[in-house]
Parts: sequence; structure tokens; C-alpha cells
Amino acid sequence: MRRSIVECLLCSLLILILSGPAFGGPAVFGGFPPDPAVCYQPPDPPLILAQSSRSSLKEEEREFEEQADTMPDPLEPINRFFFNFNDKLYFWAYKPVASGYKIVVPEDVRLGVKNFFSNLTAPVRLVNCLLQANFKGAGNETIRLLLNSTLGMAGFLDPAKKELGIEKREEDFGQTLGVWGMGPIFYVEWPFLGASSLRDAVGFTGDILLDPKTYLIKSLPVGIAIRTYDQVNDTSFRIGEYEDFKRNAIDPYLAKREAYHQYRKHKIKKR
Amino acid sequence: MSLSVITMNRIVIIQAFLFLSFTFGMVSPAFAGEPQDQLRQTTDKVLAILSDPVLKSQNKVKERRELILKVVDERFDWEEMARRSLARHWVQRTPEEKQEFTHLFKELLERVYMDKVEGYSWNKISYEGELIDGDYAAVKVKVFTAKDQTIQLEYRARKKGNHWLVYDFIVEGVGLVNNYRTQFNEIILKSSYQELIKRLKTKSTQN
Repeated sequence: MRRSIVECLLCSLLILILSGPAFGGPAVFGGFPPDPAVCYQPPDPPLILAQSSRSSLKEEEREFEEQADTMPDPLEPINRFFFNFNDKLYFWAYKPVASGYKIVVPEDVRLGVKNFFSNLTAPVRLVNCLLQANFKGAGNETIRLLLNSTLGMAGFLDPAKKELGIEKREEDFGQTLGVWGMGPIFYVEWPFLGASSLRDAVGFTGDILLDPKTYLIKSLPVGIAIRTYDQVNDTSFRIGEYEDFKRNAIDPYLAKREAYHQYRKHKIKKR
Repeated sequence: MSLSVITMNRIVIIQAFLFLSFTFGMVSPAFAGEPQDQLRQTTDKVLAILSDPVLKSQNKVKERRELILKVVDERFDWEEMARRSLARHWVQRTPEEKQEFTHLFKELLERVYMDKVEGYSWNKISYEGELIDGDYAAVKVKVFTAKDQTIQLEYRARKKGNHWLVYDFIVEGVGLVNNYRTQFNEIILKSSYQELIKRLKTKSTQN
């Protein structure tokens, strides 16, 4: 009799302990807010907006009235120099090469190449999803990598998106650092690589360490050539966008810097 | 054995509750409200003009532009956009300056809008939901352009009378008016308001 009471007490104690995490569910992720998007993404598109973490539109607008959140830019003169360098690089090198390439190579092939390169960097996205406690994203990236590498003919096709509707999760280490609470610190315009921040530059280094290409390709010139080709192929889809952007800006450098800042903030928030 | 079953059950129940609260919490904004309806009317009119075969010929470009801008004019709040783009510098301007600036900024934005409308083939537009908070609203739109490409666009609108008027566009987190605001602010701080006007004017003659 007494034994059963003790057993009973122990039992309820155990239940309490074990059910703890169930009650505090999202608290397991540490300081992250319990974001429903992580656990459940509704298939119905009209619902998407409601789950954005925006507290209130009015509040956001009030903040907007008070002060703008801009990216610190202590290196502005150097950044502007490299901005002009990259601008020339686009108009004198990437654009003419990509335009010629676009004429010669059919769209399907270019899309295949784009998918192939993107599939290669799936480990980067997968690891960063995990680091952000985005298990759904990590699962999606795993399925995409396995499916697209096999049925998708080494990544040239994207059956995961086409047939199953599983979209790529664009996550990188810069975003992971952002999710962990790190700000961009300041703006950096890299020659060749373009817009970045100190945080995202650190992130970029991390992503290179996660990129299989880093280990598969031993020779540096070959590595650079392959990354350049990836860039040219990518540019072939976006000719005209930069021209539009520049035409509509009053100060293209500032426009680029702020667009980069807002875009990264958005991606970190979206998770 | 039974212990784990109890725990499992509990988790399942909690999940079910969470699930329900999410769905119920999210259903209400999913109904198409006023802002989305009004925006859809405007967009449909623009799309109708764009697909009109009579207006597609080369010599009708100007006429088509004017028709589109007339439709858009009713939905966009140019003065509000101008005010927001200047932010704290707005109050320091005289009424004449405000009028001049609004005119120049409107010209610039119309050009940006026409670039986007004419430059891409808008195959399909789907409405992805809206959020209404008092007089403010956000309407999310997905534009399907060429093969495999979609653009996520968010309109921000404010209610004036019976009309929801658009005051900003946000593409992938980047607000258009917001972006101009930073440019304008730094130009004014580093040189002057007059310099900004000069640059806006050269921009409008360039195109």
C-alpha cells in the first residue's frame, strides 16, 4: 500500500518533469521567440502575412517617423571607391560576357547550371538552418539535397520544388549571426563580391568553410574560375535589374547600401 | 510504458491546442478586406490597359503611359510619399518648396513604377494576405514574371476618407520611399536641400 503511494508520487513527479518541456516547448530553443512559422507553415497563402513577427503596423510607422535605421558607414570613402570599381566591373566585364553567354546558351541550360551550383551549397543552408533552430528548414534542405542530387540529375533539375513544392531556404552564416543577436556593425563594399557588412563578411568566411567546393577543388585558379562562371551564369538572368536600380537612384551608392541593410534585416527576421 | 503514453498524449493535446489557436488567430486577416479590394481594382485596371492590343503598338506608348498613370494617380498618395521621403526635413520647407518637391518626387516615382510595369511581363498576380491596423494596412502581393521568377511585393496604405491610399512599396523587405529617405537625408546633411533639388531636376531631364 505504502509502496504504491510512493510509486504514485514518483510517477506524478516524473510526469511533471517530463511534461515540462512540452509546456515550455519553444523555450527549449533558448532566447528565440516562439515563432509559429518554425513549427508549422500553413499551405494556404493568405495566412502568411498574419504570422509575420511584426508587432503592429502603427507602431512600426511611428518608429519610422522618429528615426531611420541606417547602416553605419565609417569606411565610406573606401566603400565608394570599390562601389565604382564594381560598377565598372559590371558594365565592362560581367554584363557583356553574360549578354553573349545568354545568346549562346539556352535558358533551360542556364537554369540547370544555376540549380547545380545552388544544390552544391545545400550543406551551407542546411547547417545554418540548424544553427538557427529552424528544423523545418533543415528538413526541407535535406530532402532537397537528397532528391535533387539523385532524381534531379546531380542538381541540374529541381524536382523537390517542381513536384513537391519544397522551396529553397536561403540561409547563410551572416543571417545566423543576425538571429543570434549580432548587428551588421558597419557596411563593407568588397571588390568583386559587392555589398556586405562586417558581420556578413565573417559569415561569408564561415560559409566558405561549409561549401563542398572549397574541399573538392584544390587549385585556387580553378576555384576562382568556377565561382566566376557561377556569377556570370547568375548575371545572365538579371541583366537590366542593376541598370534600372541605378537609373532610379539619386545616389546609387547610398541606395545600394540601404537596400542591402533592409534586405538583410528582412531575411534575418523572416528566418 | 504508461508514463510515456501519458506524456505523449499531453504533448499531442497541447500541440492540437496550439495548432487551433494558430489557425483561428490567422483566419481573420485572411478575408479580403477593403484595402486589398481597392488595390485589386487599381491593379486590374492597369493590367487591362497593359493587355489591350490596341495600345500595344509603338506609337501608342505615350498614350498608354498616360492612361496607366491616371489610374495609378487615384490610388497613390504622392504627397504622403514626398513627406515621408523628406521626413524631418519636410517641416522646414515652405509650402511652395513642398509643392515643388512633391512634383519632382512624383515624377521620379512614376518613372520607377513605369519601369517595373513595362519592363517585366506580369503573368499573374496573387494576393497573399493583408494586415489592417487602424488606419494603416499592408497588402502582400506575389508577382509571377518570367520562368521560375516571383517577386514578393508589399503595399502599405493609409485610409483617407473612404479610400486606402498607397504610401510605400516594399520589395523583399526593402521599402522604396524608405530607401529614398536615406539618400535624401544624407544629401541634405552633406550638402543642402538646394543640392537635392538640383539632383532631382537633372534626374528628371536625364530620362
